[in-house]
Amino acid sequence: MTITHHPDEEMLAAYAAGALDLGQHVAIATHLAACGRCRAFSRVCECVGGAMLEDEAPAALAEGALDRALRRLDAPAPAASAKTQPVADDLPPGLPAFVKGYDFGPWRWIAPRIHVRAIALPEPSPTRVLLLRSAPGTKLIHHEHTGVELTCVLTGAFSHEGGRYGPGDFDLGDPSVEHEPHIEAGPPCICLVAMQGDLKFGGLVGRLMQPFVSF
Amino acid sequence: MTSSGERRRRDDPWAAFVEAISVRQDREAFAALFSHFAPRVTTYLMKNRTSQQQAEEIAQEALLSVWRKAQLYDPRSASVSTWIFTIARNLRIDASRRERRGGAIHVDEAEAEFALDDAPLPDARMAAVQSEARVRDAMRTLSSQQLKVIQMSFFEDKTHGEIARTLQIPLGTVKSRLRLAMNRLRGLLDQDA
Repeated sequence: MTITHHPDEEMLAAYAAGALDLGQHVAIATHLAACGRCRAFSRVCECVGGAMLEDEAPAALAEGALDRALRRLDAPAPAASAKTQPVADDLPPGLPAFVKGYDFGPWRWIAPRIHVRAIALPEPSPTRVLLLRSAPGTKLIHHEHTGVELTCVLTGAFSHEGGRYGPGDFDLGDPSVEHEPHIEAGPPCICLVAMQGDLKFGGLVGRLMQPFVSF
Repeated sequence: MTSSGERRRRDDPWAAFVEAISVRQDREAFAALFSHFAPRVTTYLMKNRTSQQQAEEIAQEALLSVWRKAQLYDPRSASVSTWIFTIARNLRIDASRRERRGGAIHVDEAEAEFALDDAPLPDARMAAVQSEARVRDAMRTLSSQQLKVIQMSFFEDKTHGEIARTLQIPLGTVKSRLRLAMNRLRGLLDQDA
């Protein structure tokens, strides 16, 4: 798999610093699952974090902090929280392990040839995450972005003015971008999409997207 | 012939302390690591909108994780300070979620969220081995102004606007310093290509 479209460095640095909201984090992690180059850069950013930690001015700790820590060494570690979530068996390839453990809603028809599947995050996030499945040959007239939208291709491919996007490729949409993606012939194009904004699933998203889809 | 272990210890003096914990539960090694890193982790957390009390508590937890996970530490993949940075980052995220959820239930989600899947990709490991020393070299070539904007932007979670106001520089300067610094770091990897 040749990956040609990557998140920018600042987004990878924010990922490594733990500064992204969970929805955006999921989109970057999905790209990293496929992309050695960006993994390597995120590790570089973690090294920067380590170097900065080393250079921090030491804070004065409360008296007895070390003794308190020493007394806690023999205490048992807190039990890991139970993770009993069964993994759905009909997920597209390319999702990171922790994402596979999330709750996936049913596929919902939102417009001709387009379905979405909501992913429930364990933490409220200003960024919603969903799978978007488009039939081959579909042409999406891009809706206007009200916020930043991160897309990572899992299967199939689409093209727009920015180039061709296949599995592993990452696309950033923001209010200044107005693309008209065209879904390639071949397998359905499934993307993980992390979008800011207040879209509600169910009837509303269909009505919102309907005018923006053509063939 | 120098063993890789000796070379490692010379590069990163703290690796030997973690090894001492791993091999023989060495409490003095723990005390040394705690005395060095807990105050620095506390400072890092306080810059991330964490109260001093909570920052100290998370720093305690971070160093306890070092004690418990010493056997998992791989000096070939990260320096001790980078490893502790990632532990503290994960605990900070978990602590803020726990607080939002009412504080009663232990949260340990962030570690899994940063775990990269097992299947190694070709260039990831190579870069991890080489990058520590080179990142530090590259950071020495950045100006203190560039370092400051990296630190504030990513590690203190400040917006470009906040950075511009704090440093009293134009917004465009914040952006250009960040871009230059990011390109320098990216250049580290392109040397491998």
